[in-house]
Amino acid sequence: MISTIDTVITAETPEGIAISMRAAGFPVRCMAFLIDALIRYMIVSGVAATLGPGGRVGTGVLLIIVFLILWLYPIIFELTPAAATPGKRAMGIQVMMANGLPLTPAGSLIRNLMRAVDMLPLLYGFAIVSVLMRRDARRLGDLAAGTIVVYRDRTSPTSDFGPGEPLPPPMPLNIRQQTAIAAFGWRVNRLTPERAEEIAVLAAAAVPGAKDSAVTARLVGIARWQHGQRRFIPRDPAEQT
Amino acid sequence: MTPFDFQTANQASWKELESVLGKGQRDLDPDRFLALYRLCCEHLALARSRSFPLHVIERLSSITSRAHQVIYRQSDVGLARVARALLEDFPAMVRRLWAYSAIAAALFMIPTIAIAIATYLNPDLILSIVDRRTAEAFEQMYSPAAQAIGRPRDIASDWMMFGFYIKNNIGIAFQCYATGVVFGLGSLYFLLANGAFGGGIAGYVASLGYSSTFFPFVATHSAFELTAIVLCGGAGLRIGQSVLLPGRLTRVAALELAARETSPIVFGAVVMLVIAAAVEAFWSSAPWVTSTAKYVCAGFCWILVLCFFLRRPHAK
Repeated sequence: MISTIDTVITAETPEGIAISMRAAGFPVRCMAFLIDALIRYMIVSGVAATLGPGGRVGTGVLLIIVFLILWLYPIIFELTPAAATPGKRAMGIQVMMANGLPLTPAGSLIRNLMRAVDMLPLLYGFAIVSVLMRRDARRLGDLAAGTIVVYRDRTSPTSDFGPGEPLPPPMPLNIRQQTAIAAFGWRVNRLTPERAEEIAVLAAAAVPGAKDSAVTARLVGIARWQHGQRRFIPRDPAEQT
Repeated sequence: MTPFDFQTANQASWKELESVLGKGQRDLDPDRFLALYRLCCEHLALARSRSFPLHVIERLSSITSRAHQVIYRQSDVGLARVARALLEDFPAMVRRLWAYSAIAAALFMIPTIAIAIATYLNPDLILSIVDRRTAEAFEQMYSPAAQAIGRPRDIASDWMMFGFYIKNNIGIAFQCYATGVVFGLGSLYFLLANGAFGGGIAGYVASLGYSSTFFPFVATHSAFELTAIVLCGGAGLRIGQSVLLPGRLTRVAALELAARETSPIVFGAVVMLVIAAAVEAFWSSAPWVTSTAKYVCAGFCWILVLCFFLRRPHAK
């Protein structure tokens, strides 16, 4: 199920199951960075306007705040429960340890100090090359800290076939055929009827009496049968989530 | 067993784990929670190996990964942990990586001393290190006639200098550390360059006859500042070594290990640099403190810093 063109990263737990994470790639992280840059700029200019009349003490405090925003802004936000800066949160991504655990303070400290290297030679050059080259889209700071940036929300696939008739397969199917037909059954609602028919025709050999029309409906019927639906049900009662 | 039967038979325990995860961490029953977690792990493995529908697998992997995060979360992140990182892990790691710190100290001090002597004997050499304006600014900063030592004439606030020192010095320390990832060359460069810069200024100011203001000024805070920069440079060399000579690990694994080892050093160095900035802004530059008092205080600070790193670790 996990192919080489997918961006799913897995980490194994002590229980022997693989946790899957979806790595956030270059465009979404770039957007998150730009949002953060804007927020930082607004904070600094806001503080500068407030402290401007503060004279030299004000300038000193301003320098400290510029320093804090430069180096600590990502660390502080990444250690909140959301594990994301406001920009990352807006883009729906967050930072995790690469083993699927919540970000640790040391992890956040290292990945953000390493920005000093990722910024080189200019405009985050090293970081961009690393993010584009690696399937898990980690920059040098992520590699050093053992962290990864992933999508927060998973899209949950549909759990409903809709109403219809189950159909027993005309011949024994091996596991790969079963998997392919089941996967088609779950996906068919997201395809145009024409495209669905194009795919369904490929499996016509497994569909009884399919000479020309309605291969799709019959193939979905087999998928229903495999799923455990043995009689006509107007609506699948399996689960309404 | 068809996916449908599987789902109807086990849905109750999935729902229960989901509702437990929805609640706060405090009021969950650990035994029940762990039992449910293991059960769902089993179900997930089963569902994957039998190619059950994607939504079942997605749901199971989502609840198991959330439960996994709750169970294996590292919970000691309070103040006690911070204090331990600073007072125990930091000096312990410096002692363990002493060779890197020693090399970094040598890389920093050799150009400092060599260039200090060179510019003392031939003050014109300063112009090959900094430009004329900078040299003049330093000349004016350490002149005995300055009303506050070590700061340009147009800046007249301790707070302003405190802010400047924090921004400048911690930035230098971070550069010394992080650029080590480029095969150690970055750390090497920043250690040598900062050593040469400091030595050049010291030699130049001394050749002008301003020793009586310059050395009492730098003596105290340098105990914290130079030590911290050297430690960061040493940590950067450790990072560079992990990339250049990873040994039996892969480069990424070696880098990860080195970063984990050196993170207490960077954390400690940042705290030292904040102390240094405060001392530099409020004590070193104060013209009302006599040189003798500054030297005594400086000696005390150097001994304090050395003892902090060299003291025997206490038995656990």
